[in-house]
Order: sequence, then C-alpha cells, then structure tokens
Amino acid sequence: MTLNLRTKKIYPTGYFIKYLYKMLTLWTRIVQASFIFLATESIGVLLDPCGHISPESPVVQLGSNFTAVCVLKEKCMDNFDVNADNIFWKTNHATVPKEQYTIINRTASSVSFTDISSLNTQLTCNIYAFGQIEQNVYGITIISGLPPEKPKNLGCIVNEEKNMMCQWDPGRKTYLETNYTLKSEWATEKFADCKAKRDTPNSCTLDYSPVYFVNIEVWVEAENALGKITSDHINFDPIDKVKPNPPHNLSVRNSEELSSILKLAWINPSIKTFIGLKYNIQYRTKDASTWSQIPPEDTSSTRSSFTVQDLKPFTEYVFRIRCMKNDGKGFWSDWSEEASGITYEAKPSKEPSFWYKIEPSHTHGYRPVKLIWKTLPPFEANGKILDYEVTLTRWKSHFQNYRVNDTKLTVNLTNDRYIATLTARNLVGRSDASVLTIPACDFQAAHPVTNLKAFPKDNKLWVEWTASNESVNKYILEWCVLSDKSPCIPDWQQEDGTIHLTYLRGNLMESKCYLITVTPVYDDGPGSPESIRAYLKQAAPSKGPTVRTKKVGKNEAVLEWDQLPVDVQNGFIRNYTILYKTALGNETAVNVNSSHTEYTLSSLTSDTLYMVRMAAYTDEGGMYGPDFTFTTPKFAQGEIEAIVVPVCLGFLLTTLLGVLFCFNKRDLIKKHIWPNVPDPSKSHIAQWSPHTPPRHNFNSKDQMYSDGNFTDVSVVEIEVNDKKPLPEDLKSTDLFKKEKSSTEGHSSGIGGSSCMSSSRPSISSSDENESGQNTSSTVQYSTVVHSGYRHQVPSVQVFSRSESTQPLLDSEERPEDLQLVDNVDSGDGILPRQQYFKQNCSQPETSQDISHFERPKHVSSVSEEGFVRLKQQQISDHISQSYGSGQMKMFQEISTADDFGPGTEGEVERFETVGMETAIDEGMPKSYLPQTVRQGGYVPQ
Amino acid sequence: MKVLAAGILSLLLVLHWKHGAGSPLPITPDNATCTTRHPCPSNLMTQIRNQLLQLNSSASALFIAYTAQGEPFPSNVDKLCGPNVTDFPTFHADGTEKDKLVDLYRIIAYLGASLGNITRDQKALNPKDQNLHSKLSSTADTMRGLLSNVLCRLCNKYHVSHVDVSYGPDTSGKDVFQKKKLGCQLLGKYKQVIAELVQAF
Repeated sequence: MTLNLRTKKIYPTGYFIKYLYKMLTLWTRIVQASFIFLATESIGVLLDPCGHISPESPVVQLGSNFTAVCVLKEKCMDNFDVNADNIFWKTNHATVPKEQYTIINRTASSVSFTDISSLNTQLTCNIYAFGQIEQNVYGITIISGLPPEKPKNLGCIVNEEKNMMCQWDPGRKTYLETNYTLKSEWATEKFADCKAKRDTPNSCTLDYSPVYFVNIEVWVEAENALGKITSDHINFDPIDKVKPNPPHNLSVRNSEELSSILKLAWINPSIKTFIGLKYNIQYRTKDASTWSQIPPEDTSSTRSSFTVQDLKPFTEYVFRIRCMKNDGKGFWSDWSEEASGITYEAKPSKEPSFWYKIEPSHTHGYRPVKLIWKTLPPFEANGKILDYEVTLTRWKSHFQNYRVNDTKLTVNLTNDRYIATLTARNLVGRSDASVLTIPACDFQAAHPVTNLKAFPKDNKLWVEWTASNESVNKYILEWCVLSDKSPCIPDWQQEDGTIHLTYLRGNLMESKCYLITVTPVYDDGPGSPESIRAYLKQAAPSKGPTVRTKKVGKNEAVLEWDQLPVDVQNGFIRNYTILYKTALGNETAVNVNSSHTEYTLSSLTSDTLYMVRMAAYTDEGGMYGPDFTFTTPKFAQGEIEAIVVPVCLGFLLTTLLGVLFCFNKRDLIKKHIWPNVPDPSKSHIAQWSPHTPPRHNFNSKDQMYSDGNFTDVSVVEIEVNDKKPLPEDLKSTDLFKKEKSSTEGHSSGIGGSSCMSSSRPSISSSDENESGQNTSSTVQYSTVVHSGYRHQVPSVQVFSRSESTQPLLDSEERPEDLQLVDNVDSGDGILPRQQYFKQNCSQPETSQDISHFERPKHVSSVSEEGFVRLKQQQISDHISQSYGSGQMKMFQEISTADDFGPGTEGEVERFETVGMETAIDEGMPKSYLPQTVRQGGYVPQ
Repeated sequence: MKVLAAGILSLLLVLHWKHGAGSPLPITPDNATCTTRHPCPSNLMTQIRNQLLQLNSSASALFIAYTAQGEPFPSNVDKLCGPNVTDFPTFHADGTEKDKLVDLYRIIAYLGASLGNITRDQKALNPKDQNLHSKLSSTADTMRGLLSNVLCRLCNKYHVSHVDVSYGPDTSGKDVFQKKKLGCQLLGKYKQVIAELVQAF
C-alpha cells in the first residue's frame, strides 16, 4: 500500500516538474534555479506521507456504516499550505460528496458512509497542493462482508479403521475469508483441531479412526474478520456412528441334495469382534436387473454364512451383502463385491412343446411327417437337456422309439392314425411326456377357434381367441413374416388348452407383417386353423403408392394405383391421400379408402396440367409416392364429333332442302334467274305487231326490274292484220314513248335503219314522230337502252333500232318452243347463268357498250328472217359481249370446278348440239347460232 | 535405579503418549474437586466393559502377530513369552467398583507405557510389519480411551483425581533379543490380564 501510494505521489510531482521545465523555457535562469530547488525539496517531503487514514485496514459488515479519518502532518501542511479544509476523499477514483465530510480539527477530516454495499472499496485521502495540484495523501481498502452464520446440522460418520468425517451446513456466504474448524475432545482431553479446506467449508475429515466406546464431543467453530461463532456441540460414541467395512470374500456354493438352495459365506469386518452386526443380502438371476432381498429379520444378527432357499434349479444367481451395527445405530457399509453361483439341476419341470408337419412329398401308402419340438427354456429344463425320446404308436401294441439330440425328427408314416410322445431328459431325470395325435389321412379338421384377434401391447404381440365348444388339449400358434421377397418361414409355440390369451414368444421385428395361425389340438387331432395378420409395431410405409391415370377426361381423371407390396407397407394401410393441384392452384387433398385402387378426380379444369401425388397411411404415418402429372384434354371424348357431326348433318340437310326447294321451285327460279327467251325462230310475223302490248306487265318499274333480262328486252307482238287494238302493247309503246320523251328522245323509233346504223341521236330525235307514223310497214322490235351504267351518263347516246321488217317469232306462244327453251335451260348451269343474268339485270346500262351492237350491223344485209334472229342474237350477243372473253374464262373456271365442271362442260357441248338441232329443226340455214356460240361464248337462251 | 527407570518411563510416556493420557492421577479425597471437560456418558461402565472386550478380542491376535516375527519365538512361545512380568500392578477382582477402577487404571497405565516401548522397539526392529504396527497402535488407542473412561468415572463419580501408577522396565538400553523377549512377555501378560479384567467387569 505504501509503495502504491508513493508511486501515486511521485507521479503528480513528475507532472509538476514537467510543468516547471516548460516554465523554465520562458522564465529566467534564476527563476528556473529557484523552482528546481523548490521541486527537489518537495519531492523529498512527499516521499514521507503527508498524513494517514484511520483505520488502516477496515473490514466492515455489508450494510453497516463506516467512518474514516484522515490526519495531515503539520510539516506537510506547511509545505503545501493546506489544512483539513483542503482534504477531499475519493472512493475507487470517484470523489466523495463533501456532504459526507466532517472537519474534525485543523489537521483531521473524516468521511462517513452508510450502508456499505461494495465488497472492496478503495478509499483515498487527497489534497490540493498549492490550492490547485491534486495530491494523494493516503489510501486504504475497505473490505466488506458478513460474519459467519452458526453452522447447523453437524453430523459425523466413522469409517471403520479409516477416519471420521464430519459435515455441517455453513450457512450464508460471508464474502470474507472464513475459517471453519472442527473441534473434538473427550471428557478428559482435547484433540487437535480439524480445519476445513477452503473448497469444502462444510466438512472436515479426521485422519485417524476415533476410539470406540469413548464419547467424543464435536463442534464447529466458524470465524472471519467480522466474528466467530460456534455450532451446537454433539456428543456421541464413535461406535454409534460407524460405517463398517463391507463383508468380504463372499462365496456361493450349491447343494446336490437340494436344487433350490445356495449357501453363502463371507468374512465379517473386524469391527464385528466387539459389536453385533446385521446384514442385507440381495440376489438376482444373472440376467435380471432388479435385486431381491432376503428378509432382514433373517439376517439381523452377526453371522458369516447364510443359506438362500426357494431358488430355481439350474439357475445362476448373483449375491451381494452389506452390514451395519445390529442396534441400527450407525451406517450401512458399502455393498460387498458380487458373487454368483448356480443351483443344482432338477428334472425338467414341463414337457416340451410338440408339433408336427406333414411334408408335401407323398409316396404311395406313406407320408413323411416331420415331428418338431421346442427346447425347454432353462426355467423348465432345470438342467442341461441330454436328449429327447420320441415314441410313435400306430396301434396300441406297435411302438417305435427314437432318441434324438435335435429338436426335429422326420419319419415316414403310413396313412393310419399315430400317437406320438416326447420326453426330455437331463442329468437328474425325464420330463413328463408330451402327447400328440397324428390323425389318419382321411381326417377332416374342424372346430376352429373363433374371434381370433392379435394386437400389440407392451412391446409384445398378443393373440386372443375364443375356444370352440370341444375340449382342447392345447393350442399351436404359428407365425411368419409375410413378404413378397422371401417365403413364409413359420415359427411356432404351444399353449395349454386353458389359455385363450398369450403373446408370441419369438424375436419379432417391428414393421413386419406377421401371419398368425392358431390351431386347436383335440384328442383326435388338430382342428381347423384360423389365421390373422398383425404387426408388432406399425410404422409409416417405406414407399408411397405410384399413381397413374387410367383415363383422363375433360373435367375428370381416373387415377389408379397398385396395392403397396407388403414389404413396404410397414403396417395396415388405413387410407390413401391423394393430393392434386394445378401449377398455380391450391393443393386439394382427397382421402380414399384403403380397399380402393382407383379414384376419379372430378371437377377438373380442361386443358390443364395437374400434379398428383399420393400417400399411403398406416396408423403410424404416411409416405408419399412419386409425383405424377397429367393434362386434361381441351375437349371431351366425342365432343368434337358431337359438334361436327350435327353441323355436317345440318349443313347436309340444309343443302338437301335447298336442293329440293330449288328443284321444286325450279320453274320459279328459272323464271327469275333464267327466264325463257323467246326463240325468234319460233316467232311468226303474223302474230307480231308493234302495237301489241307486251305480254308482261311493265306498268311498274319494279316489275320491270324483277323480270331480269326482260328489262332489256321488249317483245312486241304485232298483228299486222289484226285491227283489234292491243291496249297492253300500246301501253307499252306509250310507255316507251313516255320514256323517250322523258329521256329527251333517247329511244329510237320503229323502223328505219338499224340501231347501229342509226346511232346518231339527231336522226333518232328528229325522226321520232315521223318514224312512228312512217313505219307502218316496218316492224319495230327493238327497245332503246338508254340508261348509263351505275348512274353514269353514257357519253354516247345509244339507240338500238331494228330495221328489219321481219316479224318476231311467237315462240312463247308455242309450247313446243317453250319446251325447247326449257330443255336448253335445263341443260345449262344455273349459277353461271344466274350470275350472268343478274349482272345483266343489275346493269341494264351495259348496253351502252356500242361495240355490242356492231355485230348485228354487219349482218344487217341478211334476210328478214335472219334479221329477226339477229334481234335475239343481239340480245344474246349483247349479254355475251358484256362479259366477253371474261365470261368464257369464268366458264372455264367453273368447268374445272369439282361440282359443276363436267356437267357444265357437257352442257356446253349440248348447247352446241341444241343449237344445231334448233337450226335443223327450222329447216333453214340458220348457221348464225352455232357461230355465235363459238365466237363469243354465247350460250343460247 | 528404580527411580531413574521411573523417570525414563515417565519421559517416554510424555514423548509417546498424548497429553493427559495415562498421566498418573493423584489419589485425592472423595470430596476433592475433580472436573472433566464435559460430563461423562451415562453408559460409561458399559463402554468400559466394551473396551475391555475389544482389547480382549484383539489381544490374541496381537500376541500372534508379535510372535510371528520369526524364530525362536514361534517355537518357544511358552519359554520366551511367558507372562513373567515383574512389578505388574495387581488387580483385586473382589473389590468395589472404585477399587477395581483404580486397579484397572494402574494396569492400563502400565500396559500403555509398556505398549509404547514395544511399539517404539518394533518400529525399529520390524519397520515393515505393518500388521503388527497397526495392531499395537490400535491397542494403544483403545487403552487411551479406556483410561479416559476410567478417569471420567473415577473423577465424576468417585472424585478421584490422582492415582499412583507404576511402569515396566525400560528396554531402550537392552539388546534386540531382550527387547523382543520383554515385549513378548508383556503381550503375553496383557493377553492374560485383559481376559481377567473382562471377567471382573
């Protein structure tokens, strides 16, 4: 402490010197020398403490108050010009508030602390030298702690011939160095103290064995800086606290006379020479883990041997022994070393389990029978089994004896009934005989057990059944592991006829399926066996089922899977769980009964990929199989057919109806789209009159347009000789006239030059009235087409006027001509014609193409009759020319079409023929018609 | 010489016996003050009897152990180890309990001192015979306890604070054989006396 304080004292002085040296650089050398002198003087003074603190080494109790006083020395006070007012206190380098200071006098200052809680506190007394330099004067360490508590529960144990150890409860922690001293004395003398070790303040061991039969008084004294306290005194005779040495040399010996006893012998500890002992003797069989104990009242006195009775023959037992003072005072010794011995043999206490199997290979008149039996367990064999004796009895007088060391015997028996007996022999004697009836071949087993159940319990597989009404000698339980990979190798056991509940005494494995068969054995032979499956302990399947699709529909899928192999089931499959989901959807779980091997997922979305996985669950858990995906089709099976077939049928029906309709209405259709064209060759002038009103009603413009080509053609039937007025024709004429006037004379007059030659409008317009009057001898059979195409005003006014005087033929009046035309119609294609005429109908202005009328102009020099024909040809030619070669092209295209090609082509040829025939029928050189066809693709109307 | 021998024995007792054990007690009047560190137990006489039994039970073993150290002792036990110990305190078995306790105290004190000499000699003569050493030590400890009990009884009950005792011959100056012979004779005497004491109490 002093050195430490000196260091602290010098350290600030060094600072001070440095400070002075700094000052010396500024001040004069004289001042420098003066300070060096003063500093040297100060150091010499400070080596001697300026004061001291009282108390020097305080130890205070936690929570108590403490006061320390710092007293300055007069010399120091003079050197540093300080007094008690300049004292300040620090604890652990923290300044103590001045409120805790008390100035006692000029040289002494005290500081007070209340409720000391810190275990170690550094307290220093300091001053400010020269009013500003902090200077440590003195320092102390305050140690805090607690006084020892009174030791409690003092007790001692005397280890025989070794030592005496006493223990106690030292009480609370003192935080101080506390000495615990075990004191002991006799009535007449005191023994040396036993000081407890620092790490074991609750015990102390005397290194000598105390003298017995002399009372010793023992107590514990606990002492530290804050106090000393003594425990209660205990006074005892060490013999009453003794823990004897354990008996040693324990030996075990059996008796040939009695197989149920073992004789123990041991050497007692030496203390038994002057005290009585009692014992604990424990024993167990070699393989057991728990001990049995000889009744204490049988071992309550000093002894060195004991005979243990009621033991099992030929069984190894392990023994141990301990002792203590027989009056119960003191402590039990440790257990002796274990010793073992085997009881002597006795004859087997029970007959072996006995059963048989008939081998499958039969020879004529004989059957190989395999007799099997179980080795007796040690507790029934009561010794080493030397051999087994088997006796087979066919009739009452016929014996066969076998002595076997093995546990099986195969014999060839006849088909008769046999009685087999089995005995086991050891060194002492034979067991009772186990009797088994081997029935004749024609024996019919019956009377099986009922209500067969198997269940695991306490890690055993229990089997329970209900006996039949017959008297049962015994039951044979057989079991084997069911596996797809290995055959069923049965194990078996025998139970008495009174047993209805037992467990399988084999090395059963968990997660294996056992097929258990219970066969009752009656006097006349075995009964019908009953079987059941069971698990010792189930587990989750090793593998999950592999699911696949059996059928996938638009909104459903039929999943199927195989039953799990028994090797991977690990338990009874209770149910399956199918989990399926789409790529983005939630997973849906479906539980399926374990008896099913397929399941239909419904309400699926079409054209969607589904992921399916399937788990099989036992009572202990489940296992998922591999994932599986499938995609639902966009259409259901037959859905396409269901749509396409009706549509096709409907289309076909519609087509058929249309065809029928067209066929039924062919006249009407023909009338509208392919009207009869009067055959000029059939016309006769006698019936033609320019004033004859048209046969068709042209009163209405609609009617006119509805007639198609007839809007372009006006047939005027003029009866030259008939004076009878024809109002209709006249009206038609008037109409034309009106039209003519309304169209500023675009219509031509009757008679005069041909329309081609009289295409000049001036001619037509100037001669309009005159022509109507001057052409009484001529025939007007042409109509002026004067409208433009699609409301276009034709650039050239077209007039079509026939200058022929040949009367028109009255073909329509003659049915045969009509028929001829009809034939032509029927031979022509409908669509082309319809299109042709429709276009012509919708484009009446096509007549504006003047070139259409130039051809008749070239033939204007022919006869009157030819001129009349020319009129028709003009019409036809006009139509033909309006399409020109394009029409032919269209025909060619049509002719190459699948539906209409051949017919159309044939019809074209037929047209030619008809044309020719027509010409021939007329009996006139009417070669213009075929020519027209060939030249312009004209189709005769 | 006797005075000198007694002085030496006393010195040996001081050196080898613990403080207070076996120290001669002055025979004081019955009314004299005699105090112990704490009261004696009520079964003190039983403890004394048990201590005598304990000593008696181990005396033969101790004697055998001593004679087993080698010839000629095993084959001449009767000649060499006869209980011919002079000055051995007498015991009056027909006396009162106080007289018997006083006699007992004198005998145990004598035996204790002699046993101390034997132990010292044997540790020097047979330093490796731990069995003999432990038996000698155990017997000496038991005698200490017996003296404490007898003293407690005499003091508390009979207020006897002092008993004049005598000690056996000093063997330190004798040769090895004489040491062994005297030791063997003393153990033989001890075996004989302790049996009589057991009977007396």
